[in-house]
Amino acid sequence: MSSEENIVIRTEKLVKSFGENHVLKGFDLELNRGENLVVLGKSGSGKSVLIKCMVGLLYPDAGVVSVFGKEIPKLTQIELDQLRTKIGFLFQSSALYDSMTVRENLEFPLRRHWMHKSKEEVNELVIEALRNVGLERAVDLMPSELSGGMRKRIGLARTLILKPEIMLYDEPTTGLDPITGREISNLIVAIQEKYHTSSIIITHDMECAKIVANRIMILIDGLKYKVGTYEELKNSDDPKIKPFFA
Amino acid sequence: MAKQSRRSEFLTEVGNISAFTGKFFREGFKPRYEWSELFRQCYIIGYESLPLVGITAFIMGLVLTVQSRPTLEEFGAASYLPAMVAVSIVREIGPVITALICAGKIGSSIGAELGSMRVTEQIDAMEVSGTNPFKYLVVTRVIACTMMLPILVVLADGIGLYASYIGVNLKGIVSWNLYTTQVFESLTFSDVMPALVKTYFFGFAIGIIGCYKGYFSNKGTEGVGIAANSAVVVSSLMIFVIDLIAVQIADILGLT
Repeated sequence: MSSEENIVIRTEKLVKSFGENHVLKGFDLELNRGENLVVLGKSGSGKSVLIKCMVGLLYPDAGVVSVFGKEIPKLTQIELDQLRTKIGFLFQSSALYDSMTVRENLEFPLRRHWMHKSKEEVNELVIEALRNVGLERAVDLMPSELSGGMRKRIGLARTLILKPEIMLYDEPTTGLDPITGREISNLIVAIQEKYHTSSIIITHDMECAKIVANRIMILIDGLKYKVGTYEELKNSDDPKIKPFFA
Repeated sequence: MAKQSRRSEFLTEVGNISAFTGKFFREGFKPRYEWSELFRQCYIIGYESLPLVGITAFIMGLVLTVQSRPTLEEFGAASYLPAMVAVSIVREIGPVITALICAGKIGSSIGAELGSMRVTEQIDAMEVSGTNPFKYLVVTRVIACTMMLPILVVLADGIGLYASYIGVNLKGIVSWNLYTTQVFESLTFSDVMPALVKTYFFGFAIGIIGCYKGYFSNKGTEGVGIAANSAVVVSSLMIFVIDLIAVQIADILGLT
C-alpha cells in the first residue's frame, strides 16, 4: 500500500473563522490508516471545529479537508450521508437521544442504514455493541438514568454499531473521574485493536493522550505546531510544549 | 441607531423563518418519508392535547352561553341563544382558542425539545449518523401540527356546543333535538369552511415557528428557555395575523 493510500483523512491549509475569531489559520493534518492520532490544544483552540469540518457539520472557509480521498465540501448530501456511515463521532456530551431508551438509541442508526436486518439480527447487534462496552445490563434504561461514564460508553456503542472505519472522539474523558477516564481511554485502544479503526482523539487530558496515542499533534494559534510520540513531546524543551506535560 | 438595528433584526428573523419554511416545502415532499415518527408526533400532538383542548372548549361553550343569555333576554331574543353561540364557536372562538391553547402546549414543547436537542448536540449526532435531522424532526412535527389542529378544532367545537346545550338548560328547558336543529339551521357553508381552512394555517404556523425557534436555539440552557418562550409568543401572534387575513379573504370571497 502506497503512503498516499495509507492516508484516510487529510487537511491542507484549513481555514475557519467565526466573525473576527480566526480559529484555524491553515491547519495541516494527515491521519494514517489504523493509527490513533491525538490532537492536543488549549480550550477554544479549534480542536472540535477541526473534527466537525471532517464530517461536514461545519464547512471550512478555505483549504482542503478530504476523507478517503473525497473532499467533504464538494460532496452532495447523499454522498456525504454515505461517507458518514464510515465515520463514527463520539460527542463531548455523548449526545444520546433523551427520548429513547438505550436500545432505541442503538437501533436508531441500524434501522436507518441496515434496513434489511431482521428484528433478531438488530437485537443481536445491539447486545454485541453493549457487550463491547461492558453495559449489557443498561439496555432498557433511559439516558437520564445513566452516569457520565455510562453515557460515554453507550455513546461509543451507538457509534460503533455501524462498524465505522474512522473514529473521531471529541474530548472523550472530559467531565469524568480519573478511574472512569482511564477506562474510556483503554476502551479506545481496545476498539482500535479489535476493529482496526483509524482515530482522531481531541483532548487536553494528558493521561488519556498517553494511553491512546500513536502520534500526538499539537495545535497552537490555529496551526499545527509539532507532531511526535508522547515520549518525544514530553522530553521536548520547547516552552510552548512543556506546559501540556507539566 | 438602536431602532434601526431592531428593525434589521426583525427583518432578518422574518427572512430566516421564510427560508426555513421554504426548506420545509423543498425537503418535506422528497423521500425518505419518516412515517413512524410522523405517526408518533400525531399521537403526541393530537391525542395528548385532547384533554386540555376538551376542558377549555367545555368551559368556553358553557361560559359563552351563560353570559350571552341576559343580553339576548333584554331584547326578547333568548330563543336565538343556541344559534348565536353555535356561530360564535364554529366561526371564531373554537378555532382561535384551540389554536392559542395548542400554541402554548405544543409550540413551547417543540421549541424546548428541539432547543435542548440542539444544545446537547443530539441534532448534530443525528446528522453525523447519516440521518437528515430536518426531515426527521422538523418535517414530521410541522405536518403533524398541520393535520392535527383541524381535528382538535372540530372536536373542540363539538364539545363547546354540547357545553352550550347544558348552559341553555341551566335556566330553561330546551330538548336536544330542538337545540341541534337550531344549531345546524344557523350554520352555513360560509360559517364552517373558512373556519376549518384557517385552522390548517394555524397548525402550520405553530409547527413551523416552534421548530424554527428550537432548531436554531442558541447554545446553553438559557437558549432553550428563550426558544420555548418565543415559540409561544410568535406563534400566538401569528394566529391572530392569520385570523385577520382569513377574515379579509373570506370577506372578499363573499363568505362572511
